[in-house]
Amino acid sequence: MLTWLEQRTGIVSMTKDFLTEDVPGGASYWYAFGSATVFAMILQIVTGIFLCFYYAPSTATAWESTKYLIEKVPAGHFVLSLHYWGASAMIAFMAMHLLQVLLWGAYKKPRELQWIVGVILFIVTLVLGLTGYLLPWDLNALLASKVAIDIAGNAPILGKYVLEFLQDGTSIGTLTINRFFGIHVWLMPALLVGLVGMHLFIFRHNGPAGPPIDEAPKLKPGRFWPDQMFMDTVLSFVMFVIIVALATFSPVPLDDKADPNNAVFVPYPAWYFLALYALLDVVGKFPPAMVQIATLFATIVGPTILIIVLIVLPFIDRNPSRRLTRRPWVLGLTALVMVGAIGFSWYGQSNVVEQQLAHNLIGPGAASAATTASSTLEVEHGPVGTAGGASGATGSAPASAAAGASVYTANCAGCHQANGQGQPGMFPPLAQNPVVTGDPAAVAKIVANGLSGQISVKGSNYSGQMPAWKGQLSNAQIASVLTYIRNAWGNKASPVTEAQVAAAAK
Amino acid sequence: MAHAEAYNDPGTPEEITRRTFMANAVYALGGVIGLGIAIPVITSLLPSADATTDQWSGLTPEQAEAFKKATDSPVKVTFDVHETNGYFGASDTEQFVWAVKATEDQLRAERPELFNGTEKLPFTGPVINLGFAVFSPICPHLGCRFAWNQPQNKFICPCHGSEYSKLGKHEAGPALRGLDPLPMRDFQGKVQITWIEYATNTPALIVQKIG
Repeated sequence: MLTWLEQRTGIVSMTKDFLTEDVPGGASYWYAFGSATVFAMILQIVTGIFLCFYYAPSTATAWESTKYLIEKVPAGHFVLSLHYWGASAMIAFMAMHLLQVLLWGAYKKPRELQWIVGVILFIVTLVLGLTGYLLPWDLNALLASKVAIDIAGNAPILGKYVLEFLQDGTSIGTLTINRFFGIHVWLMPALLVGLVGMHLFIFRHNGPAGPPIDEAPKLKPGRFWPDQMFMDTVLSFVMFVIIVALATFSPVPLDDKADPNNAVFVPYPAWYFLALYALLDVVGKFPPAMVQIATLFATIVGPTILIIVLIVLPFIDRNPSRRLTRRPWVLGLTALVMVGAIGFSWYGQSNVVEQQLAHNLIGPGAASAATTASSTLEVEHGPVGTAGGASGATGSAPASAAAGASVYTANCAGCHQANGQGQPGMFPPLAQNPVVTGDPAAVAKIVANGLSGQISVKGSNYSGQMPAWKGQLSNAQIASVLTYIRNAWGNKASPVTEAQVAAAAK
Repeated sequence: MAHAEAYNDPGTPEEITRRTFMANAVYALGGVIGLGIAIPVITSLLPSADATTDQWSGLTPEQAEAFKKATDSPVKVTFDVHETNGYFGASDTEQFVWAVKATEDQLRAERPELFNGTEKLPFTGPVINLGFAVFSPICPHLGCRFAWNQPQNKFICPCHGSEYSKLGKHEAGPALRGLDPLPMRDFQGKVQITWIEYATNTPALIVQKIG
C-alpha cells in the first residue's frame, strides 16, 4: 500500500526527508514552542471551520447564532470554548517562541528573513485575535472592538481611512461584522498558512540554530525524528489537556447582545491586549495638555516602533556572536519590555476588576447590573398613580423595607429585574402581581421554599425556576425583602414580619 | 537531505529501543489529540433542531374559505405551519396543499392502495375528510412542487414531467407512486391539517417530517 502510494506520489520519501533533520546539540523542550504554536493553529483552523457551520455574521444573527451554538448545538459550547482558549494558547506559545528565539540570538544571519516572517506571523495572529473578539456581537465584543477601532482611527493622517476601512463606513454595524468575519475566517488564516509554510521552508534551508553558543554548528547533532518530534508532541499534548480543562471548567461566556446605548458595561480586553489597555489608562492621567499626544504615543507610535524594531533587529544587531554574555543591550531591552508588559498587564487587570466593581457588574449586587439607577428614576418620575405606592417603599412600610431593597438588588433583581417587571416567559413581574400583594404567608412560602413548574400571572405563563432562599437568606432578610416588594413599583400591601416568615417557611 | 549527519550512525541498541518508544509515543499522543478534537467537532454536526410539539396546524377562517372555491377542479389551500427555524426561533412557515372534492368511493376506485392496506398510511384518520382528499404539493418523484393543469385535467410536475390524475393516481412520468395524502380534521369547528413530508422516489410512503 505504502509502496503503491510512494511510486505514484513520492509522499513516503518526502515525509522521510521532512522528518530527517539534524538538531545541533540534540533535541530540547526549548525548541518545542514553535511546533506547539503550529498545533494551536491547526486546532484553531479545525474548530473554526466547524463554528462556521452555525455562525452567521450580521447584527441580526451574530449574537443569536452564537447563543444557539452555545445552548442548542450538541458540544457547540465546547467547540467554541476550545476555539476561545486555543486562541490564547496560540498567542502564549507564539510569544514564548519569539522570546526563545530572541534570547538564543537565532534571528541573526543567515536567519533574518525567517525572523521577519515570524514577526509578521505574530502580527497576523494578533489581528486574528482582535477580529475574532467582535464576532459574538455581545456587549463586550462591541465595546472592546469599538475602542480598538477608535484607537486605530486616531492614527495620524491614515487614521480616518483605517477607521472607515475597518468599520466599512463611518459607524460600527452589520457591515463591520461581515468585514471582520471575512478578515477573521479567510484573509488572515490564508495569510497565516502561507506564511507558516514560508517560515518552515526557510527554516529547513538554514537548519536549526542550536543553543546560544558560538560553536553550535560543531555540536554533535541529535535527531528531529523521533527525538525532537517526541518533545514537540508531549508539549502539544500538555497544552491540549490544559485547553480541554479550561474549555470544560471555564467555558467561553456570552454577555447580553451588543447594545451601543449601554453606558454602564465595562468591556474587558483579551489578556494579550491588557498591557496596551493599561498604558492607555496611565497616559489618560497625564496633565490635560499632554493627554492627546501621550495617548497617540502609547497606542499607535509605541507599538509601531516596537514592531519596526523587531523587524529590523537582525540588521541592527549585526554582531555574529550569540553568547548571552555578549548581548547585554538586546537582552536588557527584552527584559525591560517584558517586565513592562507584565507590570502593565497586571495593572490593567486590576483596573478592569475595579471598574466592574464600581459599575456593579461583579461582586455583591452584580445581578442587578446597573439597572438600579433606572429603578430609582422610576420611583422619582413614575406615573402619579403609583407615586404614593413607590414612596411607600420608604415611607409607610417599616424600616425593614430599606434593607429589603438592597437584599432585592443583590438576590432578586437578576431575574425579576430592578423595576419588578420580570422577564417574559421566564420570571413573573412582581409589580401589580396579586400573589405578591396577597396573603403574606403564601408569598413568604414561595420565597422561602422556592417554586418550580409553570405558573400563570395575569394571563401570562412563566416557567423559570424560583430557588429556595431559606438557608441562604435569614428570616429577617426575607421579611425585609417581602416588605420591599409588597410596597415597591406601585404595590401597596402590609409589611411582613420575621415571625410570619418563620411560620411560613416550615 | 541537507542536514542528516545524525542519521548516519544507527546508535546503540538502547538508543534504538528509546527511539522506537518515542516514535510510538508520538503516534499514541497524536492519536489521543486527534480523537480529542474529532469527537467534539463531529458531535457538533449532529442535528440540532427542536422537534415540533403540535402536529396539527389550524386554518384561519379566511384560509378555510378556499375550500368553498372547489368545484370540479382542485384548489390550493394555504395555511401556516408553526416550526422552529434554527437561531431565528419559532415562526410560521406558509405551506399549501391541494384539496380535491371527492367521495370515499371515488377515491377507493382510483387509489385502492390507500384503502386495502397495500400502502401503510402514517395516520389513522380517514383519507377523505369533510368531503375532500388533501394531497401534499410535493411531487413523490424528487420533491418539486407540481401544479394543476386545467386543460389537460391532471396534475403535472414541471421538473421531470410526472403526471397524476385529479385523485392523485400516477399516470405518466418517472414517479414511483401516486400523490401523497395528508390528514385533515374538523377540530371544534376549525379545519386543521397535519403537514407531513414523505421520502421521495420510493414506492412506499416513508415519513420524513411531521408537523
